[in-house]
Amino acid sequence: MTEGRRGGLRGWSAARGAVSSGLRFTSLRLRLVVVFGLVALTAAVSASGIAYWLNREAVLTRAQDAALDDFEREMQAHASTLPLHPTAAQLEVAARQMTEDGRLFSVLLVAEDADGTQVRGSSDTSALHGFTLEDVPEPLRKAVDKEQPITSGNKHAYHLYWQRVVDEDRPYLVGGAKVIGGGPTGYMLKSLEPEAKDLNSLAWSLGIATGLALVGAALLAQAAAGTVLKPVHRLGIAAHRLGEGKLDTRLRVSGTDELAELSRTFNRAAESLEKQVADMSARDEASRRFVADMSHELRTPLTAITAVTEVLEEELDAETGSLDPMIEPAVRLVVSETRRLNDLVENLMEVTRFDAGTARLVLDDVDIADQITACIDARAWLDAVELDAERGIMARLDPRRLDVILANLIGNALKHGGSPVRVSVREEGEDLLIEVRDNGPGIAEDVLPHVFDRFYKASASRPRSEGSGLGLSIALENAHIHGGGIIAANSPKGGAVFALRLPRDASPLIAEDPGHSGDAAGEGSGREGNGG
Amino acid sequence: MRRHGMGQNEPVPSLLLIEDDDAIRTALELSLTRQGHRVATAASGEDGLKLLREQRPDLIVLDVMLPGIDGFEVCRRIRRTDQLPIILLTARSDDIDVVVGLESGADDYVVKPVQGRVLDARIRAVLRRGEREANDSATFGNVVIDRAAMTVTKNGEDLQLTPTELRLLLELSRRPGQALSRQQLLRLVWEHDYLGDSRLVDACVQRLRAKVEDVPSSPTLIRTVRGVGYRLDAPQ
Repeated sequence: MTEGRRGGLRGWSAARGAVSSGLRFTSLRLRLVVVFGLVALTAAVSASGIAYWLNREAVLTRAQDAALDDFEREMQAHASTLPLHPTAAQLEVAARQMTEDGRLFSVLLVAEDADGTQVRGSSDTSALHGFTLEDVPEPLRKAVDKEQPITSGNKHAYHLYWQRVVDEDRPYLVGGAKVIGGGPTGYMLKSLEPEAKDLNSLAWSLGIATGLALVGAALLAQAAAGTVLKPVHRLGIAAHRLGEGKLDTRLRVSGTDELAELSRTFNRAAESLEKQVADMSARDEASRRFVADMSHELRTPLTAITAVTEVLEEELDAETGSLDPMIEPAVRLVVSETRRLNDLVENLMEVTRFDAGTARLVLDDVDIADQITACIDARAWLDAVELDAERGIMARLDPRRLDVILANLIGNALKHGGSPVRVSVREEGEDLLIEVRDNGPGIAEDVLPHVFDRFYKASASRPRSEGSGLGLSIALENAHIHGGGIIAANSPKGGAVFALRLPRDASPLIAEDPGHSGDAAGEGSGREGNGG
Repeated sequence: MRRHGMGQNEPVPSLLLIEDDDAIRTALELSLTRQGHRVATAASGEDGLKLLREQRPDLIVLDVMLPGIDGFEVCRRIRRTDQLPIILLTARSDDIDVVVGLESGADDYVVKPVQGRVLDARIRAVLRRGEREANDSATFGNVVIDRAAMTVTKNGEDLQLTPTELRLLLELSRRPGQALSRQQLLRLVWEHDYLGDSRLVDACVQRLRAKVEDVPSSPTLIRTVRGVGYRLDAPQ
């Protein structure tokens, strides 16, 4: 029961570990991708931004300078030849002449006729998109019309001004100049659309290049993450295996980078761990073997002594009076202490069998009520124990081990709680629940976690005749080997309660071990009182 | 179960104790002699086998751990020719001992450190198995159990059964068709209390089947009843 729950917990935490490690790896991968992406984006955007801006200026300035130069030339060639007060028709002709040679701009000439009214002539007179004065922004017109003071640094009264405007989403260059000496004012309008198109396609290309750089960066990040994360992942798996107790886990080391160094460190750590664990278990094994051998060795003289003390005991019982009254108590002491020594050695051997994992179940189908009755009857406890169990509750278990558990629990209850001890049997699903309840003072809270510890004595002052100190520990081991458990607690009504839980059928535990040989049954400790 | 002294007209059982440890051998000899047995002792398996041929004891108490040929081998050699009862002295930590010992043909076992009166009770229980109790006979197929002569014949031929095997067959044949639990059989045949080792029953049934059944691996007489025990089928 306890084992199962512990196992479940292990499995759960292992599963959780796997999930969280997966998340961690993903997030590191993600971080790498993001960082690479950001680097690539910054580099690409700044590079293409600068390239675009430089290009744009170069292209626009060249187109603009060429157009303005042409305009200036044409103004000098045609506009300056016009009369001071030209007619609209004259202006129009001049404007057309200015744009005749395949110039890619429109020209608008503005002048005052003899009456002082403004006349205009445009090279582009189409109704919809004709180049009119409205197309020229107001500030530009003012700047063009403004007469500059002639200084040493400025030799001309009027300058050529230009401005870029956007009309209906199309970029235009508008320029204006006044013919010095009261000539007409000329404006030019040049569409910058071809340049804008070039620049647009440049921007697109740069955008695509940036996008490709990002994709490349992501791929590179993936690859880099792979080279980093794969060893890290392997390391994680190896560490997990190590944690599971597979101490021979080693990593294959390749390369000389930091990760290889980490793998080497891991291998060294695993090696030293394996060695330490091996040393420790060897020491443990040695001391265990020592106890086993020791109790084994003790048994040979004990067998001889036991056989002989019985002869002495019978001599006492025979009441022949042949024994010296001084000798009699000595003989009784030898007999009873030999019995205790037998119990102790027997318990020690039982414990070493559990420690070495050689304890086996010998299963049989038994009636639980009959078994408990027999157990308390064999120890002459019938008057001290109240049994609440229905006959007919069958279980498949090891009768000898059940007897050991019951004898220890009931014996312990009688010792500390006094009679009557109540034993009740209940069925709970697939389990059997046997409760041993006494009327004593209960178990102190600080003692409760240790009641199943070996040789744990609740108080140092307790007389040494209280038992071997192994009884409850052996009872618990016997419950565990059945796949069950014992829980010690205090009853709210007072007194200690030991709840023994056993599966009704322990055979699945044996099925895994076809070669089981079973433990030898025989004279359990405490059966000596059964004679007669 | 404890019996002090023997009845005047009861023959004194003669035992052969094979045990290599001097102290144990001396102590057990002392104790068993006090319980009213005639005890011969041997310190090794070889000596024991020699003594067996010379003295013909009623029962052998045999230590498992012996120098030279071990207790199991002694047991197997005795069983080749003899059906006399054997009780093994085993060390409990060696669980495999019990199984191997029972497979080699031992009738019962006791665990060291053994108490003289427990050993005595086992010895008497084993010896009682050969005692006659009824005067009838029963037939199960080609097997005839003659309770008067304490013999079992199969197809007219005498079967060599140990007293324990014979007693087991008798107890089963007394309740034909009725399943007996291992614990019941332990009480009836071995006179063990509620903590008897069910492996004794299983091992003895195996040996009995080997002698009684036509095909021991698919028994038709001594059937296993799952979750209960064994049953002797009434003749068809």
